Amino acid sequence: MDVPSRQRPLVLLVALILAQVLLLAFQIKRGQDVRLIRVWSAELLTPPQRGGTFLLSKIHGAWFGYIDLRSARTENKRLADEVGRLRLENQELGSQAAEAGRLAKLLGFRQANADAPMLAAEVIGASADSNSQTIFINRGESDGVRRNMAVVTPDGVVGKIFEAFPHTAQVLLVTDRESGVGALLADTRTHGVVKGTGDPLLWMDYVTTEEKVPAGERILTSGEDKIFPKDLPVGTVASTKPGRPFQTIQLEPAAHLDRLEEVLVLLTEHSLASTESTSGAPSAQEKTKNPDKTPAQPAKKPAPLAKSAPGNPQKEQQ
Amino acid sequence: MTVRMDSEAQHIEVHKFYSGTVAVVCFLALVLQAFLNKFNTHFQLLELPLLVVVYFGLSRRNSVSGMFLGTLVGLLQDGISHTPIGLYGIAKAVIGYIASSVGARLDTEHPVSRFILMFLFFHIHQVVLAITIHLLLASSEPFFSVHLLIASLINSAVAVFLFAGLDRLRR
Repeated sequence: MDVPSRQRPLVLLVALILAQVLLLAFQIKRGQDVRLIRVWSAELLTPPQRGGTFLLSKIHGAWFGYIDLRSARTENKRLADEVGRLRLENQELGSQAAEAGRLAKLLGFRQANADAPMLAAEVIGASADSNSQTIFINRGESDGVRRNMAVVTPDGVVGKIFEAFPHTAQVLLVTDRESGVGALLADTRTHGVVKGTGDPLLWMDYVTTEEKVPAGERILTSGEDKIFPKDLPVGTVASTKPGRPFQTIQLEPAAHLDRLEEVLVLLTEHSLASTESTSGAPSAQEKTKNPDKTPAQPAKKPAPLAKSAPGNPQKEQQ
Repeated sequence: MTVRMDSEAQHIEVHKFYSGTVAVVCFLALVLQAFLNKFNTHFQLLELPLLVVVYFGLSRRNSVSGMFLGTLVGLLQDGISHTPIGLYGIAKAVIGYIASSVGARLDTEHPVSRFILMFLFFHIHQVVLAITIHLLLASSEPFFSVHLLIASLINSAVAVFLFAGLDRLRR
């Protein structure tokens, strides 16, 4: 077919669109993803993100440690030295305290679930579009991370591994529109499904209007989705709206999804101790509502956080 | 360097860039888009990959390279997002094509025209996305909302400064 030269770009555009429509149709029809493109994209774009995270932390340290100190010297040499040293110390201690707080929380959670294999990971990036709620972590297939593994923090559920690449993995947050978590009301043990909406808040469905759900009630994982272990905090009830036959419950996520820095990847669907038990005291709900639940026994020699032994999944998995 | 091509009745200025500039800028836009979103969800309002596709489309004024650049950037964006592969590829291929075609006909150097063009391109991009999602994914995506209006104004404002910065990379 002879196409006039002025119309060739238009024909080419139609062909390009058609090819991608077919690609989309293939993914929808087969329910399969085009993994190769995702792997290439992740392998190409995540190393700079990893480097950027590292560089930023160094620049941050240098800024407060060196530049602040130098500007203080100009005012008064002796006092500035003293002030600078103290400020540096203070900032280092503050930074260390904040990091120690986060890591202690992770370690407490880890030790409370010493027999459950899990892996600490650092958040290195997020989704490149506003329609999806995903993050990238610095752990991948080489660390034993696989698709559909649960990702949590000591505060609660974060999401699940959507795609595992050789050295990184993409986590689908619970707030994503396609996320769903089997959940139950902590007090009445009524089951439902928590769904993401793309907004910071979550929705819980399939709870009948007759069920009284007070604001502030905690929502836990039910374990029915075969991804998240039972009794992990999902969120707290923010508001409810009656409907027929089910009411709509709006939740605030338990994990701080807007400021994630470190997360834990659960390498199994093993039941975990609830996060309350990491601080020493079992929750009333655990004692009264779930007496049969056997809490995870702390190991005699708790394994270090997996972060301390990168690249060796065998050591990290118990 | 500016190359003038005298055709039948119009002068088309085609801007050339130092070798590798297009690839590096697109790569940085994609990395930054994902990297910034990590720190603050407000950065989700920005669409850096769209901005660079529009800029190179308007500057190079070659509809074939514009649509291929749009497709490549869109597919890579799909690759690191939780969207089916091809969704952003289609939208950005269309934008690359239209931007190149518009660039050959209109003044795209003035900040005001850049602001208006970016505003329009943002909404065309959203309409193509929404149509694709409606038709192929049987899901709902708004064609227009206040949130999108704010996002388009922010992107248009950023485009004015970003495009002026990118102009310095021309030969």
